[in-house]
Parts: sequence; C-alpha cells; structure tokens
Amino acid sequence: MKVGLFIPCYVDAVFPKVGDACYRLLRHLGVDVVYPEGQTCCGQPMANAGFAKDATSLAKKYDDMFMGFDYVVAPSVSCTAFIRLQYPHILKEANHKCHIADNTMDMVEFLHDILKVNTTLGKFPHKVSLHNSCHGVRELNLSSPAERMEPRFNKIKDLLDLVEGIEVVMPERADECCGFGGMFSVEELAVSKQMGEKKLARHIATGAQYITGADCSCLMHMAGIAAKEHTGSGIEFRHVVEILAEGL
Amino acid sequence: MSTSNDIIGACRNNIKKRLPRPCLSDIDATVYTDPVEEFIVQATAAGCQVVRGKSKKDLDSIISEYYPDAKVIASAIPEVKSATVNPNDVKKPQDLNGTDVGVIEGKFGVAENGAIWFPQEVKERAIDFISENIVATVPESEIVSNMHQAYPKITFNDFGYGVFIAGPSKTADIAQVLVMGAQAARSMTIVLV
Amino acid sequence: MSTTHSKLAKKFLENQQYADWHDSTFWGLRMKRDKMARELPEWEQLRNKASEIKRHTLTNIDIYLQKFADAAEKNGVEVHWAKDAEEFNEIVYGILKDNNAKKMVKSKSMLTEECDMNPYLEARGIEVVETDLGERILQLAHQRPSHIVVPATHLTHDDVGELFEKELHTKKGEHDPTYLTYEARLSLRDEFLTADAGMTGANFGIAETGDIVVCTNEGNADMSTSIPDLQIAAIGLEKIVPDYECLSVFLRLLARSATGQPSTTYTSHFRKARPGAKKMHIVIVDNGRSKWLADDDHWETLKCIRCGVCMNSCPVYRWSGGYSYSFFIPGPLGINLGMLHDPKKHSGNVSACTLCLGCQGVCPVKINLGEQIYKWRQTLDGLGVANPQKKMMCKGMDYVFNNPSVYNFATSSAHILNHLPSFIVNNGLNPWAYAHKMMKFPKKPFHNEEES
Repeated sequence: MKVGLFIPCYVDAVFPKVGDACYRLLRHLGVDVVYPEGQTCCGQPMANAGFAKDATSLAKKYDDMFMGFDYVVAPSVSCTAFIRLQYPHILKEANHKCHIADNTMDMVEFLHDILKVNTTLGKFPHKVSLHNSCHGVRELNLSSPAERMEPRFNKIKDLLDLVEGIEVVMPERADECCGFGGMFSVEELAVSKQMGEKKLARHIATGAQYITGADCSCLMHMAGIAAKEHTGSGIEFRHVVEILAEGL
Repeated sequence: MSTSNDIIGACRNNIKKRLPRPCLSDIDATVYTDPVEEFIVQATAAGCQVVRGKSKKDLDSIISEYYPDAKVIASAIPEVKSATVNPNDVKKPQDLNGTDVGVIEGKFGVAENGAIWFPQEVKERAIDFISENIVATVPESEIVSNMHQAYPKITFNDFGYGVFIAGPSKTADIAQVLVMGAQAARSMTIVLV
Repeated sequence: MSTTHSKLAKKFLENQQYADWHDSTFWGLRMKRDKMARELPEWEQLRNKASEIKRHTLTNIDIYLQKFADAAEKNGVEVHWAKDAEEFNEIVYGILKDNNAKKMVKSKSMLTEECDMNPYLEARGIEVVETDLGERILQLAHQRPSHIVVPATHLTHDDVGELFEKELHTKKGEHDPTYLTYEARLSLRDEFLTADAGMTGANFGIAETGDIVVCTNEGNADMSTSIPDLQIAAIGLEKIVPDYECLSVFLRLLARSATGQPSTTYTSHFRKARPGAKKMHIVIVDNGRSKWLADDDHWETLKCIRCGVCMNSCPVYRWSGGYSYSFFIPGPLGINLGMLHDPKKHSGNVSACTLCLGCQGVCPVKINLGEQIYKWRQTLDGLGVANPQKKMMCKGMDYVFNNPSVYNFATSSAHILNHLPSFIVNNGLNPWAYAHKMMKFPKKPFHNEEES
C-alpha cells in the first residue's frame, strides 16, 4: 500500500509539527508513506469564498501529483472534505479526469477505517477536550452529528482512547461550529469572533488542559482568540495526530 | 390576471425530470402498547385535564366540578342539560362570545400528540374556539397511536371543516414564555367516554 | 471586506447581554426539537420520506395543482391564480372590494409578507389586523418579522410591555407575559367579532380533497375564519401535497422541528365556506416558484415547510438576529430564498454562513441549504457583486499556491512576521487581527523540515 502525505498550506506554514507527527505515526504503524515535493494548497479557501474556478489548477496539480498512490492522507478534515467532495465537480468542469479524490482521507479516517488501529499508541497523561470540526462531523462522518437521530459514534475519541493516561471530555454543544469558516472569519469578523469565544469558553469549562481536534484551522482560530483576549486560561492546543504520536 | 393554464403551464415547462412517489406503507411508526395511557400523558403535556371512567351522562357534573363559576354553557350534545346556548340555534357566531364553557364531541384521539379530531357538526364551529374553556368528549376505544393511523379515520360532513385540537390555545410569542389561552380556549378538559 | 450582513451583525453584537439571551433562546428551541426527535426511532426515516414526497410532488406539481384546484372548485371554492406579488395583492383587494369588506383579520402568512400585502391593502382603505400574537406585536411596533415561526422573539417582555402600555393602554410597569398575552387576547377578541373578512395562509394544500390545512398554536386561524363572513386563503404553489397519507408524514415533523411540540394545538382543515357565509376564496401564488423548478442547483429549496429550525440551529442566525439579513426571511433558508428572489439585492447575506452544514441535518425535509449557499457564492463574481478585495485575495492565493518558488519563499519567510512590531501586524488592514493574536510562524515550514 502506497500512501501519499498531503500537508495543506496552512499546516505546512503554521503547524509543521503536525506534519511531522503524521509522518512519524504512519511510519510507526509500518505504512509506506511518501511526501511528494511541491505541494501547496487544495484550493478550498478560494472556493468557499466563491472562487471555485481559481481552485481548478490546484486540483489538477494535486491529482497529477498523487495519481498512482493508493491513498492520500491529510491532517485536515476540511481540506480532505473539499478534495473528496468538490474535486470531482471542479475537474469535470475542466475536462480533467479525477483519479484520487475518492481515496483522499483524513488521518483519523485512515487510521480508524483503513488501518483499523487498535493497539496502544503514545502516552498523554492529560485531560483533553475534544473539538469536533463541522466538516469532519458532517462531511467525513468522523462522528455522529448531534442533530441526526442515529447511533452515536466518534472515531476521533476511539483513537484517543488508545493513548495511555488520557482523559477525553466533550464540551457542551459539542457539534456547534467554532466560527472559523475560512473566508467567514475574514468577512464576518464579529460573528466569527463571538462564536470562537463561546466555543473556547465551553472547552475551558470542561477543566481540560488541552483542546484537540482533527482540523488545524479550527484550532488556529480558537488559539488566536485565546491568545488575543487572554481568555485561554493557559489551555493548549494539539492536533489529534500530535497526541497519538506523542512519545513514539 | 393570470389563469390556471398560465401558472400550471409555467410549472410544466420548468419540470426537468418527474420523480416517483415514495412508498409510505413501510414507515416504522411508533405504536404504543397502551395508546390511552400515552394519550393522557400527551394531552396533559399539551395543557389538558383528563377525566377517565365517565360517560356523557356525567358531563353536567363534570362541568360544575371543573368550572363551578360557569354561567354560559354552549353545547349541542343532548346529554348536556346545563347548556344555556346551542351553537345550532344562534343567529351568528358572534352570539357565542362570552361562552364560559363549550362542550363538544371528538371522534377519536391520537396518542403521540394528545390531539382529538373534531369535524364540524354544528352550524357555528366558533364554539370550538370562542369559548373560554372547552370540555371535550372522546371515546376511550377510539385512541390511535400516531398520525399515520389517524388520517384514514378522519371524516368530513357537508360542513367541510374539521380540526385536530391538542389542548388549550397557547403562545410563547412574548419572550418564549409559554402562556395558555392566546386567542382561543384558555383551558381544555377531556372526558374519555 | 464587510458585507451588509456582517455590518449589521457587528452592531447586533454590541449588546452582549442581549446577544447571549438571543442565542440561548433559539438554542433552547433547537434543544426542544432534539428531545422530540430523539423520542421517535423513525425520525430519520420520516425525514427521508418527507424529502421524497416533496421531490415527487414538486416534479409533478402541474398535475397536483390541477387536481387541487379541481377539488377546491368542486367544494364550491373560487380559486384564483397570481403570477406575482402584484397580481396577488390585486386579487385579494378585488375579493375584499367585491364583498364590501373593510376590515380583515389575518392569521400568520409569510406569503403575504413576501408580497407586501398589508401596505397595499391599507393604502386602499382596508384595515388589516394581524392576529398571531407575535405578528400583532410587530404590527403595533411597525416592525417586520425576525423569524418565520416566532416572529417577535427578538423583543423582550419589557419591550412588549412598553409597547402595550402605549398601544393597548395596559398597566404601567406590568410586563408579565401572561398578563400581556391576556390583554392582547381581549383586544384581538374585539377585532375578530367585528371583522368583515378573515384570511389565512396555508401550511399545506391537499390535492386530493382541496383542503387548506393551517397549523397554529393560538387558534387564531380558526378565530379568523369561524366568525367573519368572508374567508380567503393564500397559498404558495409549492405547498400542495398529494393526499392525507403524505400529510401525516409532514405533520409529525413540522411542530416537533419548529417548537419541540408533538403537534401544534390546532391543525385545521378548511374545505369550504361556513353555512350562511360568503363563498370561500383560495389564491394560489407563483411569484418566481415555477421558474425555480428549472434550477438544478436550487429547486429543492421549494421543499421547505417553513418550520424555522434551520434558523434556530444556525449559530450565525443566533448571534446576529433576524434583522441582520436583507431578506425578510433570515437564516439559512432566507439566504437561499433571498438569492432566488433577487440575487443582486440579497447577495450581502451569503457571507452569513460558516458552511458548518448543521442546517441540513436538522431540516425535516432535508434541503441542502448549506451546500446551496456554497453554490450561490460561486455566482457572486458573475453577478458583479463579489467583493473586490476578496477577489484579489483569492487571485493572490491562486498565484502563490500555483508557483512553488513563491510559495516556498512565502512560507519560509512567514516567521519574519513574528518579529514585526505588533502595530504592523495587528492593524486594521489585517482582518485576522480583529479577533485573533497573530499566529506564531515557525522558522521552517513542514516541507523544509522534510528536505533537511
């Protein structure tokens, strides 16, 4: 099984440690993982802002780059969801055959559904509040959305439960959006800030030392608010893969 | 002015692909082992008082027990001897204004929501709404579990009107605070007969 | 880069205490809905069926409209057809004039809001009295609805109390909702007794029987139609459903989704005029709907049964209020309907969505509201209403991301931002700095670490 690692632009620039943790964890699990050079962005920021056409060349580039891999994995649910759900449309419009969108997976999905990891991973003896990201919940089915009356599950929690010493808690309104929303956080400054502050407060109210989740963009949003308003009360942010890889 | 042909034609021209009607007979609708018990729970939650184990002959005593101050009692039910006004005999619906208790007859009840079906059977259906309080009978043997079972049972007569009523009139339009008695009846007492 | 919605939302959030109350009030409605939905194991099946019924009905709406009109006429009802708001208002006015009706009581109808009917009739000497308590409050306050189901919930009981002191001469300082509701009841009772005509909207029209079905909690639709001599019902053409078997599916979803009740207090079926009353009239309204049927991306918005749960569930609605949207219907539904009605006028609302997609999961008829908002965003540039700054930003991103050497330079040098004085980073030109402390960029991006 040949697996390509896709590190989206902002993870690359802002959270290189997350990329590093992905690589280490996959290697630890014996996966033949390759990080192809020259990758940048999936195009989601432009598309969500209304410029999906501007994402066409990035989609082509991505598809060409990862063609031939069995899976592409990425530590970002919204980028993964965008690639899997929108690339087929975007590339169809451009008369470009789409090869790899269906096999692009978020790290959590890949670990949970493909590798079916069930052995003890790293050690993280801390109380952690789990942040469900909207596109993880509602587009990638990482967990059952609160509004749907279906059996409850949470793949992120399943994985975190494999970490030694961890205590995972959920904030109130666990499936409420944090207010990032890509271009939303720029166009709708006030509502975005409000939603972020409220979400952050509910995470802090759990008494956790860390907030974790499968999407760096939500974490970046809340971390930025915590630092600006000094409302973080020292709470720290870790991508779920960083916790899974801790000490490996 | 537009005609039916204009608008129906515009629709027809814009329909891209006709989709089939889904099967509805396979809905796994909740059915209660004791629909009467659930009906009482739901009717109570909807703001009703429910009286069980009585018959139509007891209506007068129920009215005087539950609404001792009632002066104007409207009903077309023969057993309600205390009725002071009959909705079949009033000249106009306005004449029913000021009714303290309206006594009406429901055909069947629905357990899942505590609603009762009232087809119009009197000249002025305003009695159902204009009365300050409603006393309604419904046969205990006629309680179905859910709305899927309810609709095959509904009947209309020539008046061409019928209504499901679940409890007294209510509103939460002021600051989401629930208040009984918005524009229609302020209380409802159900008598299972 | 602010949109019309974002500007008004910012203003809304200036009063934090009020914003908190607004959020928790509507979240409370959402929680009531969740409780109700959880009690029915068949909930998701009902949603699927409801969606399928609507998809079937809408794609056969020509047949069902004809059936409905035939059945209604057979019941002795006069059926009118309005292609747009103007025709609708003319028809209603014509009916009132022909019957010499001067005063009309009216139960809640979003269709009449859509058509701006009240001002049209009032300008022609007709007195229109709203009888839903929320709508009545707004009429007295000269405001428009901030929500389609609970239209005056943005007002506090003190707001209503002060309004009633002025308009209904209630006791000074007495702002208890029970007392205020009772006073409104007394005043509206007089209106019901003296009205010449009563109008309702329609939650459903039943093709097989010609019934107009109206759901209320207050009983005001029945009060409006069981006392005056003339009855008019206004119905959007998408509200037709085939028969009672279909209706039962919607009735199990509607109130549970809207207010967390297993049903509304009153579910009224109107087939014909009361004995001795004048002929009943039904006005069927198109106003764009037939055209939307042909829109591959957006026709499913027509499935809507107007429960309002997408608003209650939407965090952007809860934190910005109904008046932040330019269209009279707010929230995810309103963003979409506004764009269908007049995209140039209402494009300022499409920013009001994080694409969290929660609305799609609560919608009882499974409208893909969030996905449609994404699609509307793609049309803004073509409409000439895209924000130029945003467009430039996207073009800029496109350039950077498509040129590896530029991307490498940008990401490897991003850490330089860490060392700039904060007034350069945290100034008004950097929108990120409004809510956030600028992120610390590591010395090396991930792709450089890999090289080393």
